[in-house]
Amino acid sequence: MFTWFKLAFRNLLKNKRRSLVTLGAVAFGFAAINLLGGFSNYIFDALEDGYVYARGNGHLSIFKKGFHRQGLMNPASYLLNQREVEEISAFCRRDQRISIITPQLNISGLVSNGKISTIIMAEGRKPDDMRAIRHLGHGFSRKLQLFHGHELSDKPIYQVGVAKGLAGNFNLKIGDSVVVMTTTADGFMNAFDADIVQTLDAPLEILDNLLVSMPLRFAQELYDCKGADRLNLLLENARLAYPMKKYLEQQLTARNFKVEIYTWDQLRPSYLKIRNMFNVIFTFVFIIMLTIVALSVVNTISMAVLERTREIGTLRALGLKRSGVVKIFSIEGTLLAATGSLCGFILTLLGWAAVTILQPSWTPPTIPKEVPLEIHLVPWLMAVTCLAMIVLAALAAFIPARRAAHLRIIEALRHL
Amino acid sequence: MTGSMPLVTLEHVQRLYLLGATIITALEGINLTIKRGEFVAIWGPSGSGKSTLCNLIGALDQPTAGNVFLDGQDIACMSDDRQSELRNCSVGFIFQDFNLVPVFSSLENVMLPLILRGEDERSSRDKALEMLKAVGLAAEARRFPDKLSGGQQQRVAVARALVTNPPLVVADEPTANLDSENAARIIALMRQLNQSMGTTFIFSTHDQDILHQVQRKIQLHDGRIMQDTGNNP
Repeated sequence: MFTWFKLAFRNLLKNKRRSLVTLGAVAFGFAAINLLGGFSNYIFDALEDGYVYARGNGHLSIFKKGFHRQGLMNPASYLLNQREVEEISAFCRRDQRISIITPQLNISGLVSNGKISTIIMAEGRKPDDMRAIRHLGHGFSRKLQLFHGHELSDKPIYQVGVAKGLAGNFNLKIGDSVVVMTTTADGFMNAFDADIVQTLDAPLEILDNLLVSMPLRFAQELYDCKGADRLNLLLENARLAYPMKKYLEQQLTARNFKVEIYTWDQLRPSYLKIRNMFNVIFTFVFIIMLTIVALSVVNTISMAVLERTREIGTLRALGLKRSGVVKIFSIEGTLLAATGSLCGFILTLLGWAAVTILQPSWTPPTIPKEVPLEIHLVPWLMAVTCLAMIVLAALAAFIPARRAAHLRIIEALRHL
Repeated sequence: MTGSMPLVTLEHVQRLYLLGATIITALEGINLTIKRGEFVAIWGPSGSGKSTLCNLIGALDQPTAGNVFLDGQDIACMSDDRQSELRNCSVGFIFQDFNLVPVFSSLENVMLPLILRGEDERSSRDKALEMLKAVGLAAEARRFPDKLSGGQQQRVAVARALVTNPPLVVADEPTANLDSENAARIIALMRQLNQSMGTTFIFSTHDQDILHQVQRKIQLHDGRIMQDTGNNP
């Protein structure tokens, strides 16, 4: 085997220019796939971190059973009451896989600047928990501040953050007072004065004219209840989301809690759509790159076969079998792909290093701020790419090699 | 030194080629027996069928009709893989254009038939070196073919042909690309190895000067044997 590797290696060196062109195709193909894959991976991680950490939504959300089907029409009937919130929270706190558990209450109502009113959707959260979740984030999500002004706090509770679109439309500024009105769980009108302490970046365009954030206790006072419509859980390890969902469903049901649990990506369908779109783009690029590599290898090996036809005839005369001819050229193709992949790996590292050093920034679609652009190194993708290149090159070499193997020996020996 | 058992037997061998719409008769009605240890020259003008006959004897080609037996085995009945094995073990080849692998050194070229047989690197290397010594080229073991003269390249080819100790060596015009001095050296080397190792040599030539060194001469003309000087039935 060593002899054939030696033959392959020396023949590749003998035709340096041709080998370099094919090597270049493999290397750039490898780098393109892995840099795009690394960028896609960054996007997926950023989307996840943005939702889970920066927005403080956690990995799992526990609702009252039926909340998503009937809760919109009759929210009061699908609240987790105070006892349920406390008992479920206590149960979850005993599990080391759960880092933080925090209640949330969403209400709808009106906000008035004294002259005109408009509809709002308010999120009531515990400010300390939001801060803690954000600080456990990775990379830029830890530092990402999606508001301008002060952080919400519980002292005093009568403070709000308003979405920038809402603030702009109604000429609201930080420091202004507004009146927040809603109906309570029992159907009565309720209203409170509140100070605007922040303007915030809404997660979706549709919420930019609607979203208001407030401390949970303020939302509970407005709604006149002590419960929450959900409990958000931040896990130690994101990979545990689905197993923990299943586990908690079983455990809480066994404790007579009627709940439904959703993972963060189930609550954010746009994430899956974005992910699928990137996967389609990536697949296109992958196929195009592999096609270029395959054509390049076929061309190189075909030229090699043509130039070494007499050599093939000689080796066959000496006793090399047809399968041996195929093996020789497959080894050449494989060697090209392996060396090209190694060069591609170096190119990928250079690309990654350039981005890491230069730190370009960009404004992604779901975050209305400039954030650093990153490329992740994805080891499993590099391994898969290398394997795909090698297998493809071996197969691409097979076609011309098989033709060579079936040449009549005497015709091969007569070849000039 | 010759043995009594025939090494090569051709019975009513015919070889036809299709050239466009024309059928070319390269060989017709060839009956031939060559014993072990013989030193045989096949001679004749261009187009007489010398190369075709050498190719058939060396299992590089198949007859259109008739049978070719090598060491008692009918070549036509063998699969391609079996023929490859037969060539590796039983036939050494020396080509007109030397046909050394350009990216292998002299030593590596001589090792090739042993590697193909499945022998390990070390023992192949030792045997190949011995063979290079036998042809007087041990000092050129690390040189590549492009750094050797024509005569040296052909001697490496002779070493390669003999490294597996085959019973038969087939050489198609081995001196055609050599000057007269080197040509004579190669024939003398082949003769010496025939006598020392008992290997049967069958070579084709159109060079009359070489023929006087050869005991058995088979003359071909238009694909037929005109004369066989050493044929003792």
